[in-house]
Amino acid sequence: MNLSHFWILIASLFLGQLLLLLILAWRKQRSNKREAAINGQYDALTDSFSSYMMDPSDERFIEELKASPYHLVVLERLLNHYVSVTKGGADSPAVSRLSEEFLSKRYMKLLKRGNWAMRMNTLYFIEDFRMESLVPQLKEKLAKSSRLDQETQQLIRTLASLNETVAIEALAKYPDAPARLYIDVFKRLDELTKLDELDAALNEENDNQTLKHSAVSYIGMAGMTLFLPRVEEELQNPEMEMRIQALKAILHLQYMNSPSALAPFFESTAWPERMFAAQIAGKLQLSRYKEMLSELLGDPVWWVRYSSAEALTQFSEGDIVLTHLAESHPDRYARDMANQWKTSLLGSEQ
Amino acid sequence: MQEVALILSYIVIAYMLFSSLSYLGLFALAYGKVKKENKLDKRESTEDFLRNQSTYPVSILVPAYNEEVGVVSTVRSLLALEYPEKEIIVIDDGSKDSTSLRMIEEFKMKKIPFAVRTHIETAEVEAIYQSSIFPYIRLIKKANGGKADALNAGVNLSSFPYFCAIDGDSILENDGLLKCMKPIIESDGQIIVTGGSVRIANGSTISRSKVEIVGLPKSPIVLMQIVEYFRAFLIGRLALSHLNILLIVSGAFGVFNKERVIQAGGYNKNTVGEDMELVVRLHRLLREEKSKQRIEYIPDPVCWTEAPESLEVLRSQRIRWQRGLLETLWNHRKMMLNPKYGSIGLFSMPYFLFVELLGAVFEFIGYFIIFGGFFFSLVDPQVAGVMFLVTVFYGSLISALAVLLEELTLHKYPKVSHLMRLYFWALTEAFWYRPLMVLWRVRGIIATFQKKAHWGDMKRKGIST
Repeated sequence: MNLSHFWILIASLFLGQLLLLLILAWRKQRSNKREAAINGQYDALTDSFSSYMMDPSDERFIEELKASPYHLVVLERLLNHYVSVTKGGADSPAVSRLSEEFLSKRYMKLLKRGNWAMRMNTLYFIEDFRMESLVPQLKEKLAKSSRLDQETQQLIRTLASLNETVAIEALAKYPDAPARLYIDVFKRLDELTKLDELDAALNEENDNQTLKHSAVSYIGMAGMTLFLPRVEEELQNPEMEMRIQALKAILHLQYMNSPSALAPFFESTAWPERMFAAQIAGKLQLSRYKEMLSELLGDPVWWVRYSSAEALTQFSEGDIVLTHLAESHPDRYARDMANQWKTSLLGSEQ
Repeated sequence: MQEVALILSYIVIAYMLFSSLSYLGLFALAYGKVKKENKLDKRESTEDFLRNQSTYPVSILVPAYNEEVGVVSTVRSLLALEYPEKEIIVIDDGSKDSTSLRMIEEFKMKKIPFAVRTHIETAEVEAIYQSSIFPYIRLIKKANGGKADALNAGVNLSSFPYFCAIDGDSILENDGLLKCMKPIIESDGQIIVTGGSVRIANGSTISRSKVEIVGLPKSPIVLMQIVEYFRAFLIGRLALSHLNILLIVSGAFGVFNKERVIQAGGYNKNTVGEDMELVVRLHRLLREEKSKQRIEYIPDPVCWTEAPESLEVLRSQRIRWQRGLLETLWNHRKMMLNPKYGSIGLFSMPYFLFVELLGAVFEFIGYFIIFGGFFFSLVDPQVAGVMFLVTVFYGSLISALAVLLEELTLHKYPKVSHLMRLYFWALTEAFWYRPLMVLWRVRGIIATFQKKAHWGDMKRKGIST
């Protein structure tokens, strides 16, 4: 290759780039124009949309929407904004009606499209707008999926938001399905279905441990005291992870029928059990465990010391106890921790 | 002499063509992933995590040395971050200005006793303060020990299982942390580090610690740095991350699994490139444990930072970066071409040595030959001409391509005029900006053998308006 060949090569690369630049500039200008038009129509329709959501007999919005060249995108954005800012917006019949009437055909097509991002967006919107008419398509899609990838995970969440228990059955097919996904499903089911599914998950016949852990964890997060006796039973479970989930749930529920069940955990060999026991004793102000907490202040694990000191601050005379321990505890780290907590109650953003 | 120069010319030409092709190859690898996620509704894909109790809480560490101008706006931008549970820890590493005072006054901070766990040894911690307005903002005032030491002190004080390290002069986009944590949560802890993109804020309109309007600066030096960041992040990091052989997560913005960092021994105080060194050490740990955990770069979450506007500051920054790179490669030379470390040892380390570090030396020789060939008959002018064209290809056309690729994938700059300006400035790179960089990077290699570690000499104007 000589110099002229290089010149030709560089010149053609440059010209190629220039062509790409022009195409991209043209594309950018077009998409900027389109975006400006969509934003304009969005603003113009906001008032009539608000009126329609308050009084669906006001047909003005439907007429204006139909006249808009970008009516599907504009409607999608209006509905999306509405459900994200309005409490219970997703359950609004007007949202379902509008989305079913205008968007269901488009979403049916998009679900079968090759573009992954568009399919994901469609699943998010079907969930947000609670589009029940698309359940058969979603179930069909789920039956075809063989990997628990991001799309299948969202598909399961979307089905759960439409109160389809097939979501849990589908998850059970994957032994590696994480607990957070089960929790996502429980969160989305309606109240009655949720109770049945939690009950089934806690049954002894259920040998899906992840499902059981998730059920206990969810009960705690959602504050479902109805299940407290079942959760307390799990404190006796031979499996440590299950006991930890039960302790965590009790901490969230902030109640115990038999506080004496907590006693063995203060002497557990597993530090998370000691830590949760300390936290529960504090949160429930179980004064019978105060002495135990003073002892745990000198635990070898920082988190246990931290939780014990924090627990002591929950008692009415916690300051006095901590001041005493800050001076007299035989363990140096325990004294440091007591000193920290007696001064101020520290914590992170809640 | 002429024969030696001719052989050198061929080597440099071959090197530049090889490097250019490797850049293109790397981008081709990463293109699919960026394109795949391009149309994803980012808000929808993260909003669930915002309300989710399984979203891990994060400690945000802000090491600061003489950052009185920017530290408050950085913390304010962190306060506005959309994230369910976080704590913010500013570490004043013995600043000589009023960094601590600005924090104490602005956030009404009070001195507190705190039982810190010393996971990693650091210089003496003089005091710990806590905000009485936002109890989750803390300030560590400590003796000067360098950026790595400051970060280690932050790791010691942090309460949460993940920490985000962010520079004291940077502004994180509202959903930046959530986007960085998303892959960590979704992988159920299999991803231990994520790094986001760093972009230059000069020229953009920033108010109330938020980037309101993305714009371009007037200064050509800053414009060229924007192009350079595209080249580094889009072409290099994406593909390396895709192959799980990414060796750099920018010190300006990265999220780390705290336990893993502690296991690796924390940040190394004896290098100026502590961010890269830590990532290499984490890779080493993972490979030695035969772990399947990963380190990932995510192009979308963006952290805005102030770029140097003067040549003097830019020079000092580039020398420091090059030193950091060389020190890291030297410290971990055992991994180089060592099959025990898999693709990191066999591909990534040699890539960083030959393309990122020694590239400057090859380019330097290239410029020397062009000059010598045209003016002093050092080589045949034909060869010098080829060298010139290859240099333009390597310096300008690849950078211009990076601009086009940014537009093709992320298109963060909103106007057509932005695209045009960036493209045409990128074309000038080989003629003025790149020779400067090459010179400073070579200087950086020499400096490795001369100087002690120190914080950067950035003169801050502050990016918030």
